[in-house]
Amino acid sequence: MLELKNISKSYNNFMLKDINLSIQKGEYFILLGRSGAGKSQLLELIAGLKSPDTGSIYLNGRDITGEKIQNRKTGMVFQDYAIFPHLTVYENIAYPLRIKKLKKEKIGNAVSEMAESVNIRHLLDRKINGLSGGEKQRVAVARTLVTSPDIILLDEPMASIDAPLRDDVRRLLRKINSMGITMMHVTHDYSEAVRLAHRVGVIHKGKILQVGDPDSVFSNPVNRFVARFAGIRNFFSVKINNQEGKTFAESVNCKYELPEGNYPDNGLMILKSDSINLSLKEQKDMNNCIEATVIEINRAESGYELLVDAGDRYHVLISKNETESFFLKAGKTVFLSFSPDSIRII
Amino acid sequence: MDKRSIFHWVVLVLSSLVLLFILAPLIGMVLDTTPAEFFETVRDEEVQDSVWLTLSVAFMATLVFSFMAIPFAWMMARYNFTGKQIVQGLIDLPIVLPHSAAGIALLGFISRDGLLGKAADAIGLNLVGNPVGIALAMAFVSLSFLINAARDGFAAVPERLEKAAMNLGATPLRMFFTVSLPLTWRNIASGFIMMFARGMSEFGAIVIIAYHPMTAPVLIYERFNQFGLSYARPASLFFILVALVIFIIIRVFSSRTNRTIKRASLNNY
Repeated sequence: MLELKNISKSYNNFMLKDINLSIQKGEYFILLGRSGAGKSQLLELIAGLKSPDTGSIYLNGRDITGEKIQNRKTGMVFQDYAIFPHLTVYENIAYPLRIKKLKKEKIGNAVSEMAESVNIRHLLDRKINGLSGGEKQRVAVARTLVTSPDIILLDEPMASIDAPLRDDVRRLLRKINSMGITMMHVTHDYSEAVRLAHRVGVIHKGKILQVGDPDSVFSNPVNRFVARFAGIRNFFSVKINNQEGKTFAESVNCKYELPEGNYPDNGLMILKSDSINLSLKEQKDMNNCIEATVIEINRAESGYELLVDAGDRYHVLISKNETESFFLKAGKTVFLSFSPDSIRII
Repeated sequence: MDKRSIFHWVVLVLSSLVLLFILAPLIGMVLDTTPAEFFETVRDEEVQDSVWLTLSVAFMATLVFSFMAIPFAWMMARYNFTGKQIVQGLIDLPIVLPHSAAGIALLGFISRDGLLGKAADAIGLNLVGNPVGIALAMAFVSLSFLINAARDGFAAVPERLEKAAMNLGATPLRMFFTVSLPLTWRNIASGFIMMFARGMSEFGAIVIIAYHPMTAPVLIYERFNQFGLSYARPASLFFILVALVIFIIIRVFSSRTNRTIKRASLNNY
């Protein structure tokens, strides 16, 4: 479907480096990265708004690297929608159809049908200036969809939308994808990837670090950066030792038992915040149980996040009930325990 | 106002003095011209012809040159290239050039010995002493206003709107006419008026290119030179009034045309 082969592009103080990526027909692919990572630049190259220095772009087997923007069949939805402010909603959606010189009646039908499918039929006569962010987003999507593109490129589609409206937009994007339309969506928001993507890629400093389905990427991040993107906050540099038939990971201050497996001599130990159990008494039956002191207690999306010091510093997620029943406060001694299987070494 | 500081009073007095400086000569001219003198001048065919010549040639010069100046302004807004600052300097050059010197330079270019003059002569057109020559002189000294206003307008249009248009299938030409131009219309109209006004009021360059046929500024100068202030005053007043009426009409027309676009642009970008 879409294939990027060895794409590189130099900018003033930044470079997209040797990008190779393949997206299948009907797939919802999300490219995750911080701002400035090169996500939008990559979309611009695919859409033809800029040309790569090296490499090739194929769409449905056709080499479109040197193709004119208007002939590529890549529909781009810009971050701030790029709706034409001097035209009405109807005229915006009709814009690409008028270029095709369709008959007025056919244009009218196509616009109405598309407006109906994205729930903006009641807005067709409106000027752009009175519309909400979500409505503008729908106009931009409708205007792109009406061109029947081979792929839709979405540049941070949620970035300018208020949080309560994001569910609506997600529903809309899922609906479009369920119609068999291939989507490539770039964002910095990990939760968007979890909720929408069939596959995700993580890009950092112009280089794609990892591609795969969301579960595999976020459960097995290839490095610290990807792990951070997946919301993992506990990382420790460790040395791997074998003692008495067991494998241990040793950080500067602690020693952890690992499940059986092949490990490098040195690595980065990753432990998810919600994989750690917290108790007030030592759990002697657990392989990894360590004493720690509470440093900070902060509200999290669900419950609380504790920062505790056990020699290594851990972020631990616990429920509101646990926080209250343990009478937790800074300085209190607690015990952390976690199964060896919850530890990842990269 | 009584609670305002001395600074505000000083600003108010200085502002009033500036306004008085602009208005006093015009009011003096109105008061010093009797209705009889004024209407006699209005009926004077020589005066009517010169005012009409001035307005029509200035308008045509602005219109014709806008076909080249507006795409040029777009290019200046959109592209960065080596020597762009020099090109911008060239655009601004006619503003800082003494206009009589501009007239001399232009005369060398359009006289029969000059490059353009020779080409025009080949088709039987002598640019010197001709409305076409006058139009060239007007355009030379006023083109900067249109280019700069249009360039600022194009620069204010978000480039992603143009990219979006092309992504939707528009060719660059269609993108220019359906997105860039409508969104810059206000600046272009403003530049058009400025260029027209500047061309219409030009004297220095025109008097060297074409003393005859006489444009209004040249006619006023000639009447002043030959017959004195009281004879030149009614013609000046008539020319000023005609110019004022035209500018008000164009301003009203262009602001109506652009009101919607402006509102939409301000609210969205």
